[in-house]
This record gives sequence, structure tokens and C-alpha cells, in this order.
Amino acid sequence: MDTSPAAIEVENLTVSYGPVPALLDVSFAIPPGQLVGVIGPNGSGKSTLIKAILGFVKPDLGTVKLFGEPADHAIGRVAYVPQRGSVDWDFPVTVRDVALMGRYGHVSWWKDLTAEDKRIAEEALEMVRMSEFRDRQIGQLSGGQQQRVFMARAMTQGADILLLDEPFAGVDAATEHAILDVLERTKASGRTLVVVHHDLSTADEYFDALLLLKQRLFAFGPPATVLHPELLCEVYEGALRVFADLSAKGDSQ
Amino acid sequence: MNGVYQWLVALHQQNPHLIKALLAGTMVSTVCGVVGCFIVLRRTSFLADALAHSMLAGVVCGYLFMKLVFSVPASAPAMLLGSLLAGFITVGMVGFVSKFSRVKEDAVIGVMYTGIFAFGGVLLSFFSQHVHVDLVHFLTGDVLAVRDADLWMMAGVTAGVLAVIILCFRPLQLISFDTVMAASIGIPVLALDYLLTICTSLVVVSGVNIVGVILVVGLLITPASTAYMLCDRLSRMLVVSALFGFLSFAIGYAFSEKLNVAPGSAVVLVSALQFMLIFFVAPRYGFLADWMRRRRSVPQQLIEDVLGCVLRAPGLAVGMETIYQHVAGGTDRIQRAIRSLERREWLQVEGRTVKLTDDGRREAKRVLRSHRLWESYLAHVGTPEEELHHQAHRLEHLHDEATVDYLDDKLGHPTKDPHGAAIPEDFVHLTPGATVKAALLRQGHQGVVVSVGPLASKTPLRAGMTVTSCPRQGDDDVWVFTTDTSEQVQLDHKTADDVVVRLSGNGD
Repeated sequence: MDTSPAAIEVENLTVSYGPVPALLDVSFAIPPGQLVGVIGPNGSGKSTLIKAILGFVKPDLGTVKLFGEPADHAIGRVAYVPQRGSVDWDFPVTVRDVALMGRYGHVSWWKDLTAEDKRIAEEALEMVRMSEFRDRQIGQLSGGQQQRVFMARAMTQGADILLLDEPFAGVDAATEHAILDVLERTKASGRTLVVVHHDLSTADEYFDALLLLKQRLFAFGPPATVLHPELLCEVYEGALRVFADLSAKGDSQ
Repeated sequence: MNGVYQWLVALHQQNPHLIKALLAGTMVSTVCGVVGCFIVLRRTSFLADALAHSMLAGVVCGYLFMKLVFSVPASAPAMLLGSLLAGFITVGMVGFVSKFSRVKEDAVIGVMYTGIFAFGGVLLSFFSQHVHVDLVHFLTGDVLAVRDADLWMMAGVTAGVLAVIILCFRPLQLISFDTVMAASIGIPVLALDYLLTICTSLVVVSGVNIVGVILVVGLLITPASTAYMLCDRLSRMLVVSALFGFLSFAIGYAFSEKLNVAPGSAVVLVSALQFMLIFFVAPRYGFLADWMRRRRSVPQQLIEDVLGCVLRAPGLAVGMETIYQHVAGGTDRIQRAIRSLERREWLQVEGRTVKLTDDGRREAKRVLRSHRLWESYLAHVGTPEEELHHQAHRLEHLHDEATVDYLDDKLGHPTKDPHGAAIPEDFVHLTPGATVKAALLRQGHQGVVVSVGPLASKTPLRAGMTVTSCPRQGDDDVWVFTTDTSEQVQLDHKTADDVVVRLSGNGD
């Protein structure tokens, strides 16, 4: 009987852009089917970690393995959902076009997309409840809808691992729950999700596990253990409000 | 078909230059339109301009090389190759310098291309006895001087570039839209970037023959920008842009023949006029459409004025005429506001009478509460009395829950505004069964104390007591409650905030 490999296994990962490391000696293993939040102050290396998992930055040291294979052998197994601010919303593509982009990796450049590809894209749009908007240009959508379109694209990619960069940034509470609902359902279909998150007050209810990062990995585990006031105080030095909020939460329990 | 063929043959026999010009212009303007789409979407217009200018150095070098080494005059392939090389050097230098200096890319492009263009100019004048490149021709183009060799070159470029774009449509779309995803599914982003640069250089080189170095950017980006305002899909944008490119050439060229003006300028001018026309009339992204949309939308202020007017009327119903009298704004705009309110089911219109629905009353009260709280706040910060109403009228539209709650709390939950009019109670929180701070209660409210904080622990109030709110005393800042043992308790704002009460429902 073999033990199934971790979805994402990072070992002794060190990445640097200059004299200061962006990530230092980070090791963790995320089992498949989990919804994991990555938290940490600004500039703590959250996006670098995502880039390293995607295989975009060359680590100074260490390895990233996806399902037991080196990351660069696992092209297509990871899908990336960009931050909303980094997308050109005026680009002439419709909702359906974006969903279909997920199939690009499965078809040779010069061949047409098949009916099967279109069906998969349609199903993904159905799942995120965006089918009725399929012919809208992406700029004509609300923030939450835009996020869902990119979720659909990640799903049509057929990837087992989804990396999301701040999906909850700049959306209202109702939208946040709609997005969370999609994340939960994606998880229920057996996929692994890694989400960069900035709102500590919701981190404990949204995620199965949290990665607390500031260059080094400060903690990785269930939210209850990671959101330890002393630990947070060490990582978010001076960010007193966060600390106060959390201790208030602890008092009321 | 036959007729067209006959006509073309006749044309060719009369004036062989004309048909060559037509062919050349059609091919180049179409392919420019297609490549231009990517340039517009990737925001590299300035780089395309730089490529065009750097060509001068390339052309001169290619010419000199063939002349001095092989003694071949005016070799078209050598000049083409030289132009491409110059283009690449420009792009490479721009990339290199902007990576290793603090100067931003646009400035670096400006530095590089003028430098390389000037280098071409120096070479050209220094070797003027060897090089017979017509600078004016180069700067403004001359579609009538197109030779067979140029024509073949253009045909090759057009076929090649179109083939590349059709075959690589999906990867090119993806690298233009989302580089990170493109790379993550294994698309060679850098190689495709270079491919697009090669295509741009090739197209620019052929475009220079038609309209010249200075105007070739117009040929590239104007039709594409025009199509951009009309299309919501890239595939369609490419076709529409090609069409606009061709149209501007056909119309511009026809005009230049008729009026005997420079064809290059005429083509680009027509292209720009097309752009301006579409800018105004485009159905979704056009100026007029935007203007109409804005005109048709009813301003929030008017909506709220109408609501407020009906709320103040006895019986919450009022005739249309009364609204026209009391609300500022034209009759037709007010009618639009009323229709919009009817659609939201806030107003009921029966004949000439307008009635508030329950939802509408709630909304109107929200505005009224906000207005009077703003007035109180303005008075609190020392706004002169005669400006109160006017200023509050502007500010009352800031009536989201958090804002109103903040004002209410900061002002000590006032019951009357500076003019003595009653401020509606906090109907958002004061619902039967809700738990609220005792400070929110108004006269007549009854509830059960849920918790008593440290500040209020010195008062006789305890959890489980039933309290009834009496009229406030003092300067509206002393809360008075009677308990179930008929004891009277007086609290200040802070202490009242410290007591949480569950409101009794109407039913129990």
C-alpha cells in the first residue's frame, strides 16, 4: 500500500531577488483536497511563494513538488487565478472566451477547440453560476462575477491545484460569501486550493489550514493554532489593531 | 466578376502604377490593421513608432553594405534585412537599458529611437555620394513609386504575418491578456513576444513604402483603435480592424487621386476621421452612447427629493402637481424619477396621485433621518444656520448604515434636529426582538435587559429586568427608564451604551 503524495510539497525553499531573501528555508506539505490560506504582512513573500509553486521564480535553494513530481514537470496541473487589479478588464474577451482559455493548454496551437472543450467550459460556467453572462465582455461584470469567471477558467484547465491571489480584495460581504461558496464547492470536487488572504478576522472561518509567512514560515496548521496572539504579534510587529481584535475575539469565547 | 477583371486589365494598361499602388495599399493596410490590434491591446504603440524610425539607419546600412561590399545598387532584400536588424537592435537596447537603469521605459524608447534615427541621418549625409535613398520618400512614403520587388516583398510579408496570426491566434491572445497564465500552461511567452515584434517590424517596413516613417504608426494603430471601440471579442476586432484599414486606404487613395494631394497623408487622415466618427457614434463605448446613458439615468438626488416630498405629505400620498412644485428639476426628469421609483416598487402611481409603498416609506425615512442627522452634525461643527439645510441636502445622500450610525452616536442619538423637527428613530436596528444598546431607545420602547457592562453595573439595572423608555431629560442627553418595579433610572450616553436590551416584539 503506497501513501499518496502531498498535493504541494515545498522543501527548504529559499528565493531571493537581492541581498535579502524573499523566502527563507520554507518547508511544508499540503495534503490534497484542502483549502489553505496564506497570510502574512505586506511584502512577506506571499506572492513569491505562489510564483515559486507556479514555477516562475528559480529558487536559490530547495524544491517544489506537486503530487510528488518536480513543479516544472507538472505544467497544467496548477491553475492560477490572478488578482483582480492585475487584469485588463477592457480587453476584448467575453466570459465564454475566458472560460475557454482554460482549454488552450490541451489543444495544439493551430487546431480548433473541440465541442468537448466547449462543453467543459460551459459546465464550469454553470458551476460558478455565470452561464447567463457568457456573452458579456468581462468589463461589464461586477467584482464578484469577474472573480467567478476566472474561477471557471481555472476549473476548465482541469488542474488539481488552484492558486488564488487575494480573491477577496475589494469585494463586499455578500460577494465574499458567493466567492467562498465557489471555493468550497471546488474543494468538494477534490481539488486543492491555496489562497493568498489579507483579512485575519475571517481567516479562521474560511480555511482548513493557514500558512503564516514572513520570509520564514512562522506556522502552518489549523487556524486555531496559527492564529495565536503571541505568534501574530511577532509577525505583525506594531500592527496592534489586529492583535486587539483577536484578543477581543478570544475573550468573548 | 468578369466586368471587374476587364476593368482591372484596362486600368493596368492605361496606368500600370495605379494598379500596383492599389495592390500594395490593400495588402499593407489590411495587415497593418490586424497587427495593430495586438499593438493597441499590449500598449506598445510607442515601441512600434520607434521601430519605424529606427528603420532609417537599417535601410542606409543595408544599402551601404551591398554597395560597398558587392557594388550592387539599391538591393531591396538587403534594405529589408537592415531594417529588421535595426528594429531588433532598438527593441533589444530598450529592453536592456530599461532593465538596468532607473529611467522608465517610455523615456528609454524616446532616447533609443531618436538616437538610432539620427545615426541613420548622419550615415546618409556622410555617404551621400554613395547612397541614393530619397529621404523625403522615406519620411512620407510614395505609394505610386512601388516597384515590383517591393510588391513581392509586401505580398510575402502579408501572407506570412497573417498566417502566423491565424495559426497562433490563441497563444497570442493569451500572452496579450494574461502572461502569467500563458506561462503557467507552458506557452513560450518570450518567443511569442519576439514573434510579434518581428511581425510588427515586417509590417512597419512595408507600411513605410505607402505612408512613410512618420505616418506608419497611424496606419497601424488607428484602425485597430477604431475597431477596439466596437468589438467585444479579439477575433472580431482583428477582422473589423483589417476592414477599417482597407477602407481608410481605399477612400484616402481615391481622394488623393481626385484632389491631387499626398496619398500617405490622405490615407492616415481618413483613418483618423473614421476613428473620430466611431468615437462619437459607437453603440456601447461611444461618446454619444455614454452621454445618452448619463442623461437617461435619474440622479440619486432627484429620486430622494421625490421620496422626501411624498413622505412629508399627509397620508403619504400626493398629487403629481405638488411634486412638480416642491421638487427642483424639470417636469420630464421628475416623471422619469417617479417611473424609476415605481419600477423599484417604492411608489405606487394611481392616476395623478403618487403613494409611498412600505419599502418606499422605509427608504424615505432613511433619507429624512440622514438629512436631519447631517443638519444636527453641521450645527454641531458650527455651520451657519442659513446654510444648514442646503449643506445637509447635499450630504444626506451619504446615508449608508455605518455613516448614519456614526453620526447618530457622535451626536448623542439626538431626537430633534436644529430646527426642532423630530429625527426618525433608528428603524434599521430597532426591530422587535433585536438586541440593541439602550441609548438607541426612544420614548415608549420596551425591552428586557440582556447584559449590563462595567460602567452600568453601578446602576440598579440588571440582566432580566424589563425596562420602558421615558422621554429624555436635560439637554436631550439624560436617558430615563422605568423598571418593572417602577423604579426610575437615569443614565448618561456612555452608561446607556453599556446596557444591551432585547426589544419586546409587537406580538408578545
